[in-house]
Amino acid sequence: MSRDIVHQGVQQTGNQDMPGGIAGQILRIDLGSGRIWTETLTPREWRIYLGGAGLGAKILYEEVPPDSNWDDPENRLVLATGPLAGLPVWGTGGLTVVTRGALTNGATSTQANGFFGACLKYSGYDAIVLQGISPKWVYLYIRDDQVELRDAAHLLGRDTWETQQSLEQELGYRGHQLSVYTSGIAGENLVRFSAIHGDYGHVASKNGCGAVMGVKKLKAVAIVRGSRALHARDPNGLMKAAEVISHDLETNPTTRGLYQLGTLQGVVNLSKLGALPIKNYTTSVIPAGVDMAQWEGQALRDGFDHRGHQCNACGMHHCHQQVLARGKHKGDIVDEPEYEGWSGAGWAIGCTDPNAVSWLNTQIDRACVDVNEFGWLVGWCMECYEKGYFTREQLGGIDLKWGDAEAANALLQMIIRRQGFGDVLAEGVKRAAEHVGGEAQKCAIYTMKGNTPRGHDHRARWEELLDTCVGSGGSLETGPPVEPTEMGLPARTNPFDHKAVSKNVSTLMGRRHLEDSLGICIFTSRTKISNLCLAINAATGWEFSVEEAQQFGRRVAALLRAFNVRSGIGPELERPSERYGSQPVDGPAAAHDPRKIFDAMVEDYYNALGYDRATGKPLPELLRALGLGQVAKDLWG
Amino acid sequence: MCPAPYQANADAFVVKVEVVSTVSQFVGGSGHEALALQVTVEPGDTVRTLLQQLCGRYPRLRAVLWEGGGLGPHIEVVVNDEVLGVSHQLDSPLKPGDRLMLLGQYVGG
Repeated sequence: MSRDIVHQGVQQTGNQDMPGGIAGQILRIDLGSGRIWTETLTPREWRIYLGGAGLGAKILYEEVPPDSNWDDPENRLVLATGPLAGLPVWGTGGLTVVTRGALTNGATSTQANGFFGACLKYSGYDAIVLQGISPKWVYLYIRDDQVELRDAAHLLGRDTWETQQSLEQELGYRGHQLSVYTSGIAGENLVRFSAIHGDYGHVASKNGCGAVMGVKKLKAVAIVRGSRALHARDPNGLMKAAEVISHDLETNPTTRGLYQLGTLQGVVNLSKLGALPIKNYTTSVIPAGVDMAQWEGQALRDGFDHRGHQCNACGMHHCHQQVLARGKHKGDIVDEPEYEGWSGAGWAIGCTDPNAVSWLNTQIDRACVDVNEFGWLVGWCMECYEKGYFTREQLGGIDLKWGDAEAANALLQMIIRRQGFGDVLAEGVKRAAEHVGGEAQKCAIYTMKGNTPRGHDHRARWEELLDTCVGSGGSLETGPPVEPTEMGLPARTNPFDHKAVSKNVSTLMGRRHLEDSLGICIFTSRTKISNLCLAINAATGWEFSVEEAQQFGRRVAALLRAFNVRSGIGPELERPSERYGSQPVDGPAAAHDPRKIFDAMVEDYYNALGYDRATGKPLPELLRALGLGQVAKDLWG
Repeated sequence: MCPAPYQANADAFVVKVEVVSTVSQFVGGSGHEALALQVTVEPGDTVRTLLQQLCGRYPRLRAVLWEGGGLGPHIEVVVNDEVLGVSHQLDSPLKPGDRLMLLGQYVGG
């Protein structure tokens, strides 16, 4: 299967016509035939699509047929980075995965960090585009111009950490010399919510992107930190921009906590607002007897021996590894959970022991499934077990009581191997709930498109309820408001004022796509867009404005939406399930019923952005204004 | 002539203010803990006057709480478990039993 790379008129880095920061090559691989080649874009196209989510959306829309499915050879798996990757701005190892995902069978844009993006750029590539299905299991090896598909039979059955360790040993690289991303055992078995995991703790997790990797029989991608030169057009300007951004992250009262502790403060903060999801949304009140002092951000960090595990060029005190302090797994080294891990492997399933949650979170990473979907799935099973909808026998003999991390892991292992009832659960929350039906289905948290929310109780965060339901990339398109006044929004809004919520989400729409197109971490981009533009401009040599950035984000959103609409994913599916959109039974948000305003919220969102309410299509005048005239013709004739 | 000793209004009452995690650094805490403060207010005092009183005590809080005459984007003010703007506005009067919480804006995860 090993092939020499075949260059096809590639413009190499250093070409004066190319923007700085761009490596200039898109690596194309047909897994069916084993053909490997490279392509590039024109300088104008690089500016229009940037990289990451933007580049991926273009490829998805142009190359993946509307009537195809996620497991068809025609599907593309785009592993893309962006113009800041590999440059000395904080957190520039970014990887964005774009594909038709297994959960919604629609567009997916999902991001991870670590070192992948930097290694890829240093090897001379901005993105890898995989198509076709390999006749046997392979892994992709990249070391500058040496690009090979290698036999992966010996890696089958190995989890994410084991796969990386095996390849490090086999290839003779250690530490950050080699970045390995894999879809683990879950991907091998086409679990619909399998993820793509790499660099011991970084996960592109949404919409079953790992299942796409699995169906293509691609076990892993291993990239050596290459030796190609990578130039910013204005190196001094880039250093200044990096300083502006890092200073802002460190000193801004909103982001200082993120700088110091990453997302660890989320549990306590969100619990105060009723936005911490507890036991599958069955309550929004902290159970009696739980000592919340141990859930303070600093206490979570200090509760373990720990060391920094930073991503490429990052100065944040965010990513860490821990040593489990006690219990059955005492001494195990694990990845310090993000907020989403504390939520999905913890609160959503009623587990309130940080030591147990931390252990389970790493088992989920090693198994390679999305921790959010896992939390909603196992929380749902625990509730169904408690209510008698599921029997112990049905669950393979597991006594699946609330909060039992060991039992949750036993179920996880059944799911990733599709054993017994695990085969049903491996289809994800929506399909499993529909399969079971009855009262059990009413307890399940999902969107009608087939994905699930991030790790919050969105009944207290209507912005994210709306964004999750209407977003076209398999998750959020807006993200939390960062510097909202920069976009003309008030500094704060009533989270239950549906008019204000729609305005926020529609105004900030596309910010996430911008972040996910730069090759930078979403957390180190929690600064003003004008600051990000300083870095983009110094890297590329452009004069990229805040307005252009906003247009860019909306262009990507419109492309992904157009892709979905052509694939049959319309407004009728942009709704929450019964439980997901319900009124909380207690807690700070109990007085607010999202069902009463959901349709009005969507209506305002559509109107603000220029989407057709009946069909979900972006209106032709919007598409033309975004430079997507061909898409307007495709959708509207 | 000595000034008359200060006499608290007999109707004055105490409002409990919980200062959560990060925000505690602006009221003399470590930034990693929840602090419980008490502020005495008088009938007719509002959320705004309570916050101004608190800022008089803690100048660092003033610098991060306000922006252009209104509340800035950094700290969420929660009254009786609801974010300001839901059941209370900045100029809503306080009554005995009301509870306030100052919470850092959450932008991660």
